[in-house]
Amino acid sequence: MIKLKNVNKTYPGAVPLHVLKDINLHIDRGELVSIMGASGSGKSTLLNILGILDTYDTGEYWLDGVLIRNLGENRAAELRNRMIGFVFQSFNLISYKDALDNVALPLFYQGVSRRKRRMLAMEQLERLGLADRAHHLPAELSGGQKQRVAIARSLITRPSIILADEPTGALDSHTSKEVMQIFRQLNAEQGMTIVIVTHDPGVGEQTNRVIRIVDGQIEKQGE
Amino acid sequence: MFDLAREIWQTISNNKLRTSLTGVAVAWGIFMLIVLVGMTKGVINSFEEEVGSQGSNVLQVWGGQTTEPWHGYRQGRQINLKTRDIDAVGNSHNAKISDVSSVIYCTGVISTSEDYISSGFSGVYPSQLRRSGNKMESGRFINQSDLAERRKVMVLSEKNVELLFPGKKNQEVIGRKVEALGLAFTVVGVYGTQWNRTSYIPFTTAVMCQANSDDVGSIVVEMRDVETEADGKAVEESVRTVLAAQHHFKADDSGAVWISNRFLQFITMQQGMGILNATMWIIGLFTLLSGIVGVSNIMFVSVRERTHEIGVRRAIGAKPRNVLVQIVMESVAITALFGYIGILMGIGATELLAAAFDGQDFISNPRVDISLAVNVTVVLVVAGCVAGLFPALKALKIKPVEALRDE
Repeated sequence: MIKLKNVNKTYPGAVPLHVLKDINLHIDRGELVSIMGASGSGKSTLLNILGILDTYDTGEYWLDGVLIRNLGENRAAELRNRMIGFVFQSFNLISYKDALDNVALPLFYQGVSRRKRRMLAMEQLERLGLADRAHHLPAELSGGQKQRVAIARSLITRPSIILADEPTGALDSHTSKEVMQIFRQLNAEQGMTIVIVTHDPGVGEQTNRVIRIVDGQIEKQGE
Repeated sequence: MFDLAREIWQTISNNKLRTSLTGVAVAWGIFMLIVLVGMTKGVINSFEEEVGSQGSNVLQVWGGQTTEPWHGYRQGRQINLKTRDIDAVGNSHNAKISDVSSVIYCTGVISTSEDYISSGFSGVYPSQLRRSGNKMESGRFINQSDLAERRKVMVLSEKNVELLFPGKKNQEVIGRKVEALGLAFTVVGVYGTQWNRTSYIPFTTAVMCQANSDDVGSIVVEMRDVETEADGKAVEESVRTVLAAQHHFKADDSGAVWISNRFLQFITMQQGMGILNATMWIIGLFTLLSGIVGVSNIMFVSVRERTHEIGVRRAIGAKPRNVLVQIVMESVAITALFGYIGILMGIGATELLAAAFDGQDFISNPRVDISLAVNVTVVLVVAGCVAGLFPALKALKIKPVEALRDE
C-alpha cells in the first residue's frame, strides 16, 4: 500500500538540514503500523510526505499504486481528499460547524450534494456511536468524542489509508485506550490500513508493527 | 453554489459584531453615492425640463455694429435688422433651418363695450405658440394666412378674457370684436397661461402699427437635425452670411450681428452636467473606497485568524481554488449585504429629498432609477472582489502542513 524507495529530504538554509536519509519503507494493505521517534528525528517530515502535505527531494513514494511525485497543488489536494484520512492530535474540527457538518466536510470538496453528504456523515457517526451528538458543536463534546468525530471525518471518503498524528496526544489515558480500540477495530474488522505517528510507547505497543526513526533513518523494521 | 453560500454565511455570522462594524462603512459609502448621484440627477432633470420647454435648437439674432470697414463702408456702422431679413433667411435654402420668425412688441388699450384694459401686444409668427409654451384653450392661434393678409385678428389670454368679457366663457368670445391700436380686431383664440398676459396679433399687422418702420429687434431661427456642435455653428455661419449680403458687411464680422445660439449653450450645459455627474460618481466611489479598505482589512484579520482552519481544509482536500473562491465570495457577500442596506437607506433619503424639493425649480425628481441600481450592484461586486482578492491571495499561501501545527 505504501512504498518508499530511497526517499531523501533536505531543508535548505544557511546550514542545509538533511532530515530524511534514504528512507525505504513498505507498508502492506491492512496493516496497523506506528511510526515512533523522538522530536527532531524526522518523524514529522516523514508524516508530511506520507500525507502528501510536503514534497521530497529524491526517491519514490508509491501510495496505493500511485506515484506521488511532483504533483500540482490541485492534484495533491484531490489525492489527499480521496486516498488519505487524517486524524490529528488536536482534532482540528471546525469550531463553528456541528459534528455532522465536520464529518461531511471532505465530501463538500468532492462536490457531493448536501443531502447525500449528511446522510453518509450520519452513517459514520452512527458507526462510531455518536449519532446523538450529531448536532453538537465541537466545544460541546468531550476530548474522546471530538477524536471520534475526527475519525469519522477521516473515514467518510473511504480512503486507502488512515494517517494519524499523535491521535492520543491530547487525551487522558482512559480515552486514549478507547481511541486506540477504535483504530484496532477498524483495522481488524474492515481491513483498514492505519499509520499512527506517535512518541508514546504505550500507543506503539497496540499496533502490529513499530517503525522507529532516528536521525532521519529507519532504525529497525519488524515486530 | 447554494452550498458555498451556506458555507460563507456560516463564517460571516461567526463574527457578527465585527462584520457589522465593517459593513457600516460600506453601507455609508453606498448611501453617500446614492444620495450624491440622486441629487445630481435632480439637477440634471431640472435642467432638461427647463431646456425642453423652451427648445434647445434655437438661434436668436440681434443687430450690432460692424467692426471692420467693408466695400466702402466705414467700421462702427449700426446694423438694424429689417422685416425683409426674415424672408431672406427663410429663403436661404438651408435644410437645417426649419422656421424663421420675429416678434414686435407694442402696448396699448384693448376695449370692448363692457370694459377696457391696457395690454402688451406681440406681433408674432405661428411658431411663437410652440416656443412660448402656452396652450390654446379655445379657437386657434395666429396662422400663415393671417400674416399674408395682414388680418386684424387677436389671440387673448384667458385672464384678459375674464376682464374684457365678464361672465363669458372662452369659446363664447371667439368671433367677437375688440378695439385696439385704433383698429377693430376679431378674437380668434384664447390661450391658457400662468404668467403671460400678452395679446397676440399677426407680425405683419403689428408692423403697420409701429409708425411705418420696418425695423425688427431680433430674428428667431429654429433649427432641425442639428446634432453636433459643428452643425450648430454651421447654421449660425449661414445665417450670418445671408445677413452680410443683405446689409453689406463682411461675412466673418462677428460684431455686425449678435447671434445667441441656444443649441451651443445646450451642448455646453450638457457637457457640464456630464462632468457634474462624473464628479459625483468619483466622490461617491472614493467614499465607498474607505469602506472597501475596511472590508479588505477585516478579511486579512479573518484569514490570519483562520490560518489553522484553512490548513485543515487544505489537508482534507480543499483545492487552492476552493480557498480563493471562499475568501473572495465572503468579501463580496459582506460588501453586497451592507451595500444593499446602504442602497435602501439612500433610496429612502432621496425619496425624502424628492418630497422636500417638490415644486422647486433647481432640483426636479432627485430619485435613483433602475439603471443606477444595476450600476451600483456591479460596483459592489467588483469592490467586494477587489477587497477580498489580496486577503485571498494571502490565504493561498497557507500550506496544508498548517493543519499539523498545534494551536
